[in-house]
Amino acid sequence: MSTARLSQRSVQPQQRVNLRALPAMGAARANRSAMVFLAICVAAIAVLNLCIHIMTSNAVYELADLQAQKRELTTNAQILSEQVDSLSSQQNLADSAQKLGMIANANPVFLRISDQTVLGQPKAALDTSGRVASNLIPNAALTERTGDISSMVASSGASATAAVVAETVVSYGGQIAASPTR
Amino acid sequence: MAYLNPGEPQKRLKLFVGIVTVIALLFVGRLFYTQVIDAERLNTISSDQRSVPRTLPAIRGTIYDAEGKVLAKTVMRYDINVAPSKVAEFTRTLNDQDVQVTVDQAAGEMASALSMTKAAVLKKITGTGEYAQVKKRVDAAAYRQIKDLKIPWVYTDAIADRLYPNGAVAGNIVGFVNAEGIGVAGIEQMYDKCLAGVSGQETFETGADGIKIPESTVTITEAVPGRDVHLTINADLQYYAQQVMASTVSYLRGDWGSATIIDIKTGRILAAAEAPTVDPNAPEKSKSEDRGARIFQQAFEPGSTLKTITAAIAIEEGKATPETKVTVPYSWPLPGVNYNITDSHVHPTEQLTTTGILRDSSNTGIAQIGGLVDYKIRRAYLDKFGLGSKTSIGFPGEHSGLLNTLENWDGIKRWVSTFGQGVSVTPIQSAMMYQALGNGGVLLEPTLTDGCADENGKYATAPVKAGKQVVSAATAESTLLMLEKVVEHGGIGHYGAVPGYRIGAKTGTAQITDPATGRYGSLHAVSYIGLGPIEDAQFVVAVTVYKSRTISNSFGVAGPFKKIMQQTLRTYRVPPSTTKSPNIAEEW
Repeated sequence: MSTARLSQRSVQPQQRVNLRALPAMGAARANRSAMVFLAICVAAIAVLNLCIHIMTSNAVYELADLQAQKRELTTNAQILSEQVDSLSSQQNLADSAQKLGMIANANPVFLRISDQTVLGQPKAALDTSGRVASNLIPNAALTERTGDISSMVASSGASATAAVVAETVVSYGGQIAASPTR
Repeated sequence: MAYLNPGEPQKRLKLFVGIVTVIALLFVGRLFYTQVIDAERLNTISSDQRSVPRTLPAIRGTIYDAEGKVLAKTVMRYDINVAPSKVAEFTRTLNDQDVQVTVDQAAGEMASALSMTKAAVLKKITGTGEYAQVKKRVDAAAYRQIKDLKIPWVYTDAIADRLYPNGAVAGNIVGFVNAEGIGVAGIEQMYDKCLAGVSGQETFETGADGIKIPESTVTITEAVPGRDVHLTINADLQYYAQQVMASTVSYLRGDWGSATIIDIKTGRILAAAEAPTVDPNAPEKSKSEDRGARIFQQAFEPGSTLKTITAAIAIEEGKATPETKVTVPYSWPLPGVNYNITDSHVHPTEQLTTTGILRDSSNTGIAQIGGLVDYKIRRAYLDKFGLGSKTSIGFPGEHSGLLNTLENWDGIKRWVSTFGQGVSVTPIQSAMMYQALGNGGVLLEPTLTDGCADENGKYATAPVKAGKQVVSAATAESTLLMLEKVVEHGGIGHYGAVPGYRIGAKTGTAQITDPATGRYGSLHAVSYIGLGPIEDAQFVVAVTVYKSRTISNSFGVAGPFKKIMQQTLRTYRVPPSTTKSPNIAEEW
C-alpha cells in the first residue's frame, strides 16, 4: 500500500505556484523610513505638548502664588492706609495736641510784606478760652491713636500744663446777662 | 460568507481601509454634529458645570472735603465664618514643627484676634451645621490675624464696605449707606448714582483643585467704578465748629445746635456743623433725629435775626435810614388789630434810631420801621431773600421753611413778621439772607459740592452762578454798618466781638410753639448770625441752639459765634481790620 501510494504521488503532475513580482526592496525601505519619521514627529509633538502642559500648569500655580502675594500686599496696604487714616483724623490730632499742651492762639498776627506792617496785636497764646478742647466728636473708625504722648510731654517739660488740659472750648462766667432781645 | 483568499492582500487592505474610512466618517460626522450642530448646547452645559460666575463689584467713589481730605471711602471688610461640623483639633506647622492645636486653644486665639471672649467664640463654633458667622465685617488687621492662625475650618468672605475716617466730622452732610451699600442719607444719597458706579460680571473655569484655568476668564460686563464727589466743606473748620457746638449744646442743655459758615463771595458752604450728630461709621448709635442735616431739614421761627432784613427793606424802599428816629415804648398797640406787642424786658420809652433799634433788638421799634413799608412789598422782599423756598442744592429731605401766602398774612402776622414770628426758616436760609447783605445785596445760591468728578477723577470748581440782587449795594452796606453797632454796643451783641476785626451781627431769641398747647412755650431757639470783616465781608457765621435750657437768650451762642468766627478768619488768613466803623447815631 505504501509503495503504491508513493508511486502514485510521484506520477501526479506538480501544482503550479501562483507567483507575482514583489515590490522592490528600496521602495519598502523608503516607506518604513517615512513611517518612522512620522512616528518620531508624533512622539516629539506629544513630548512638546507634555512639556507645554507642565509649563502651563506650573505657570498656573505660580500665578496663584503671585495672586496670593498680591492679596497679602493689598491687605498690608489696607492695614497701613487705615492706620494712617486713623492717626490723621481730627479726633486723634486734637487729642494728641491736647496731650502735648498745645494752644490755639486766638490773636493771629500778620506781617504784611509790602510795607512791613504788623497787623493785629501780638499776644502770648495763654488764653485758656482758645485752648484745644478734648475731642467731643465721635469716630468709630478711630482704631489707632498716637502713642507715647506722655513721655514726649514729660521730655519736653510740658507736663506742667496738665492742669489746664481739661479745659473745654466754651467757657462762661458765672454772670448771665439779661436778654434785651426777643 | 465569502472568505478572502490569504493570497489577496490587496483586497484585504482595501477592505480594511474601507472599514476604517467608514468608522472615520462616522467619527467625523459625530464630530461635526458635536462641534457645529450641537456645539452651543454642549458648550452651555459644559460651561455651567465648570464655570464659576463672579460679580465684579464697582468700587464706590470717594467723598473729599474742599482741601482733598477723605471723608468717605470704600475699604474691604471680612466676615469671619466657620463650618461647625468640621470644627476639630488640627495640626499647625510652626518653625518646621507640627503642633497640635485644640478647639479650645483655637477659640482663644480667635477671640483675641476678634476682640471677643473665648466663651462667645466657642458658642458660635459649636454645632453640626456647615455655616456659622463668628464676626461680621472685621477690618483688615483682624482679618490678617485670623488668616495667620491657619485654622482649617475658618473661612472668610471679603465685602466692600464704607469707611468714614473722620467719623462724625461732617457726618450730617456726608450721610451714610445701608447694608447693601446704597446711599440713604446726605451726600451718599444725593450723589448715589455718581458714587455707586456699575457692577460688572465675569465667569472663569476651575480645575478639580479649584484653581482657575488660565485664559478661561470671560468678562461679561466690565465694572464701572464710581466717581468721586468733592464737597465745599473744610473738614478742619467743620471739626472745630462741631467741637464748639457739641460743647455749647451740652452746656446749654439744648435739643440741638448748628453752626453754618458761608463764603460770602461764592456762596460756598465751608462748614455745616451740628450737635448732636451722626457718625456714619455707626449710624445706629445715633438717635434717628440726629442722623440728618438740620441745617437743611429743620425750620423754626428765626426771631430777632429777621429784624435785620426788616430794616434793610425799609432802607431799600426809602422809608427809613440807619438814623431814622423812632420813639420806642416798652409796649406798642399794633395798628388795626386789637393786639399789643412788648419788648423782652421792661424799659421806659426810648428814643432810638433804626440802628439803635437793631442794637437793642426792640420789637416795638422794628415793628414801627417795618410798618413804614406796605406788607405786600415786605413779603415780596422776604420771598426774594429766599424764605419759603428750598435752596437749589436739593439736599435730601430739605425743608422749604414757611412764608405764608398774602391771603394767610392776617393782621397780626403782618406785624409780628417784622421781628421774625409767623415765618420759619432753616439755618441755611438764615445764613444766606446775611450772605446777600455781605455781598452787596446779591443773594447767591449756596453751594455744597463741586459736583461729580469725571472717570479720571478730574473735577472743576463749581462756578459762582449769577445771583439775585435783592437790595441795592448801598442798602446792604448801610445794613452792615448798623449790624456793626450791634457788636460794638449791643448788650449781648458785644459778646460776639472778635478782637482786631470789624464784625457785624444780630442776635435772636425766638419763641418756639409748644405742639401740646399750640402756644409759645418757655424754651427758645437762640441765634447769633454775623459777618466779617465788615470793610470787606467774607464770611457769614450763623449759630443756633434750639431749646436752650440753661441760658434762655442769645448770650448762650455769642461766645461760640466769636470762637467760630475767629477760627474762620484764622483758617483763611484774613488780616485784622485796619479801618474803624463810622459814627452812626443810635439814639436821639
